[in-house]
Amino acid sequence: MDEPKPINERDPANGMNDFESKLQQAFVRRPAPPGLKRRILDQRNRRRTARFHSRVVLWQRLAACFVLAAALGGAYTWRHVEEQRKGQAARDQVLTALRITNHALNEVKARLAARNQDE
Amino acid sequence: MARNWQPDFERLVDEHQSMVFSLAWRMTADRGLAEEIAQDVFLELDTHMARIESPEHALFWLRRVTMSRSTDALRRRRVRGVDLWIEIEENHSASSEERSSPLGARLEQLLTTLPEPQRAALVLRYQEDLTPEEIAATLESPLATVKSNLQRGLKLIRAKAECNLKEYLRPGKALGGAHADG
Repeated sequence: MDEPKPINERDPANGMNDFESKLQQAFVRRPAPPGLKRRILDQRNRRRTARFHSRVVLWQRLAACFVLAAALGGAYTWRHVEEQRKGQAARDQVLTALRITNHALNEVKARLAARNQDE
Repeated sequence: MARNWQPDFERLVDEHQSMVFSLAWRMTADRGLAEEIAQDVFLELDTHMARIESPEHALFWLRRVTMSRSTDALRRRRVRGVDLWIEIEENHSASSEERSSPLGARLEQLLTTLPEPQRAALVLRYQEDLTPEEIAATLESPLATVKSNLQRGLKLIRAKAECNLKEYLRPGKALGGAHADG
């Protein structure tokens, strides 16, 4: 076994003392664990797929909301038009009734006038 | 040049996975947690790829986010009430087969006993070979604080080394001064 080197000598070459050089040697980058890259890429793909699915679901929900809003709007419009149509029909009926009544009253009035003349 | 650079995620992972993993491991002293942090950092990089402008920017971004994630992980552990230092002892004794040299391994072990800001400064200084200015930018700390952490950390680890690594010290010799501020 090699004799351990002292750690307190100054190394003029790099401006660091020997202790700092030892620290630099001790703190070299460690190799990444095998499979880390594969796990990262797998997780990335899973996230992308999940993001894609969530986007699809979002668009589906938006489409459903649009269809629902269109149905509600259509129903409201149809009801409004139907009410207008019914209102118009009722008005027409009232006018017809008034016309008939007017006609009948005119007839009664004419008969009364004719009877008065006879008398 | 930077404008024409097109980031390639797989290539960035290839180039920097060792750096990210080492930073996270030295900060947390937990291999499993370091792997999780490395994964999170690269997945976050994936969502920020459009904003990465150059290889240097990618490297700086990865260092900064790794240090930030490691600090967060340590904070979460403290909140959870885990005795980190006991875990660190266990994790480091368990990873003895991966040690490059006995001195290096023991220095790494001593590093884990330093306060977090000093550990961060020393790891960036001696693993990544950054200047105090670069460390300050990476940690988003004032330069004076970084220099102070470097000096204190170096002094502390040296003192601990004197106590714990006597076999590596030449008897009767005074320790050299710290040159952490470059």
